[in-house]
Parts: sequence; structure tokens; C-alpha cells
Amino acid sequence: MFGFVIKHFGFLKYVPLAPHVFDAMLKVWTAFSRPHVLGYIDTIEAELMRWQGMRLTIHKYGGIQFNYHGKELGHIHSNGLLDMPLSRKQKHQLMQQHATVQDHHTFKGTGWISLFIKAEGDVQLTMSIFQLAYKTRKAKMSPTNSHYTVPIFV
Amino acid sequence: MFKNLFTQKSLGFILSNALALVLMLASRIFIRDNIGLSASTTLIFSEFVVLPFAMGLICAWFWRKEGLSSMDILKHMLINTFLAIFLSLIALGEGVICLIIVSPLLWCFMIAGAFTGKALFGYNNQNLNVSVVAILAIIFITDASSIHQYENMVADVMVIKAPPAKVWQYVVAYKRIEEKEKYWLFKMGMPSPVQSTADGYYLGAGRKCIFSNGYTFDEKIVTYDENRNLTFDITKQPRDPEIMGHIDILRGQFLLKDNGDGTTTLTGNSWYRLYVFPVWYYDMWAESVTRNVHIRVMEHIKKLSEAK
Repeated sequence: MFGFVIKHFGFLKYVPLAPHVFDAMLKVWTAFSRPHVLGYIDTIEAELMRWQGMRLTIHKYGGIQFNYHGKELGHIHSNGLLDMPLSRKQKHQLMQQHATVQDHHTFKGTGWISLFIKAEGDVQLTMSIFQLAYKTRKAKMSPTNSHYTVPIFV
Repeated sequence: MFKNLFTQKSLGFILSNALALVLMLASRIFIRDNIGLSASTTLIFSEFVVLPFAMGLICAWFWRKEGLSSMDILKHMLINTFLAIFLSLIALGEGVICLIIVSPLLWCFMIAGAFTGKALFGYNNQNLNVSVVAILAIIFITDASSIHQYENMVADVMVIKAPPAKVWQYVVAYKRIEEKEKYWLFKMGMPSPVQSTADGYYLGAGRKCIFSNGYTFDEKIVTYDENRNLTFDITKQPRDPEIMGHIDILRGQFLLKDNGDGTTTLTGNSWYRLYVFPVWYYDMWAESVTRNVHIRVMEHIKKLSEAK
């Protein structure tokens, strides 16, 4: 259902409030079908917002987006779907190590990954992937990094 | 005592509803109908979309330090929805069925506002705060001062195992429907059609459509093409706080087609004008209600016509 909406009604992201409402409906659906997932998302949000330089915004398709100094580290839709931009190498390694880490539901063949947060173990995995992205981004944005440029992950 | 009453949590509920009520009443001044006159019964898109969203934002502002979980916010927004519809019942005189119809829309937009507000205010993120409020205000004022008009037609078709001449007599007028209600809104108390009477079988005759709560639609036959076409304009209809206060039925029509095998294809058409917006939400309900009115009447005509 989520994939269908993104694929066929993606243009609605340009309609004011439409992504917010779409995510609100996802949240209601999740609250009835898998209420524990909302708790997992809250846990991840609370933990990530403790990290220095992190900011929370609304993702353009709805859901919460985590930014490090204005650059996206990843976003979570209210059905528990995590999307993160990584390097292709990082993506390849993660997909080999964890069966739950999948190619992005839309951006196939890029560095983007998708992961459905369904169980406690997925929360730990999500945190470790965010940690990886955070460290990578932090290193790239460090002024001491002689190769510092605006990082492009995908 | 007042200190306990006006906590951050209760202020979210109180002030969001107070603002909504004030804006609902204020918008009565600005809303215009299709010819630019004040239309105090018209309820617009902004009142069901922008206002609940703003209510969610207000709650999020007051609850930003409460540490509420997502599930808590959903529950709080559900309470706020009930509060808002209760206030609408008292202050705006809306009907219960109408409020049942509107509640999912309110809840959804309040949730969207509350979670957007959480992202905006929850972590001292000051970006976009002003622009969000400004966008909402612009949408509200533009919408309230725009002309609102929407008309639609619903058609339903049924095959009756009887010739057109037999069907025709029940199309013009029919005795009381004794069948139990099948449509869930009728079961919940929404008035359903029970009987139709006519002054006579001729062009210009008066016709009455009587509903279960005693309300009567006065009609006038404007096309009387025997065994083929009965069209009637609605000349007077009850102003009810329930859904009928937000919709005008303009015209009704029964078309009969002789299938040549002793059966008749009966088509029921209704034209209506909506006074509630957004159309994408309320027209879905209007179509559903009109369709179920059609089906109830047409099934009754079918039963009468097919009786030996």
C-alpha cells in the first residue's frame, strides 16, 4: 500500500499538508496494526536527538527526517520504514550482513537502503546504521578533512 | 484550583478549541456563495483541514515539554476531536450524524498538525515556525473569501421483472416502506425515505417524499412522460442540523426503459448541491447517502412491481 502510494501519488508531495496527512494516516494504521512500532520509532528519535548537531524535520513524503548540520542522515516513515542514504560500499556490506537491510524501495541501484523496523532487534540495527552514517558524515564535514566537500551519498 | 485546571496539557485542549471556535464563527462573515452573497451555512475546506491542523500545532506547542509518546499524542488528539465535535454540537448546532462523518477528517488533520508541531517545537527548532503559521493563515483567508459552489448527480440502475406500465404507477407514488434499514447511517438515525405521495398523475402535480423522522420534501413534477420519464424539482426541503442542512437536493428523476422481454430497466437520478467542503471528502459521503436513498426506494418499487 505504502509503495503504491509513493509510486502513483508521489506528486502529492507538492500539495501543502498532503505528506503530513499521509503520514498521519500511516501513524493511525500503525497504532492499530502494530502499536509497538510507534514506541520503537519514539525510542530511536529520542536517542538520535541526543547526538550533537542533530535536527529533526518533517520528510517531504511525511515521516521524521534526521539531519546532521542540515544534511539528511535518514528518515523514518510512520509505518516503521527507515530509509537512509549511504555509500554503495556501506550499503553492500550492510545488505550482506543483515537480511533485513534491503535495497531502497524506490531508488534501486543507489546507495539508499530501506529497513522495516518491526522488532526490538531492528531498533539496535537502526541505531548502529545511524551511528555509521553519523560518523561518516561527521568525518566528511570536519574542517580538518583535507578532502572536505559537500558530501554526496547517492 | 485554577492552577490545576490550567496546566500545559489542558491549555493545549482549551486554547486549540477556543481558537477553532472563534475562527469558525469569524469565517461566517467572509464565506460567500456562488453569487457572492454571504453563505452562513456553508462549511469550507479550511474549517475541516486548516483549523484541525492548526489545533494540532497549538497542542504541540503547549505539550512540547511534556515528553508525550506517539501513542499518547494519538490518544490526546482523539480526545481533542471528541471535544471539538462536542463543542460544535453545542455552539454551532451541528447534528450528531454530521459530526460522526466529520470526525475522521478532524482526527487525521489534528494528528498531522500535532506531529508537525512536535518536529517544529519539540527540539527548539525555530526554522519554518513563522512560515507554517503564515501559510495556514493565507490558505484560510483565501479559502474563506473564495466563492464556494459544487453540484453533482448520482445515478443508479436496476432491472425490474415487470413491464414499464406496472413500474410507472409505483414510481410516481408508493406506499410506506416497511423494510428494515440496511445502510449503517440510516440504522444510526439518519432519516431514510419511507413514502412518496402525489396529488395526481399529470405534469405539474405536487409530490411529497416523506422521510422516517417525519420530514417532507415538497416536489413538483416537471416532466411527465408516462412509462418513460418522471422528473421532479424539489421546491421545499427541511433545514435539518443533520446532513440535510449541508446539502440541497435539487432534482430527482426516474427513467424507465422497456427491455422488450417483460422487464424494465429503472434508472434513478438525483441532482444535489453541497454546502460542505472539501468536496473530495464530503462528496464521497453525499454520493453514498444519495445512492442508498435511491437503492431503498428502487428496491421498494421493484418489490411492489414484481408482486403477483
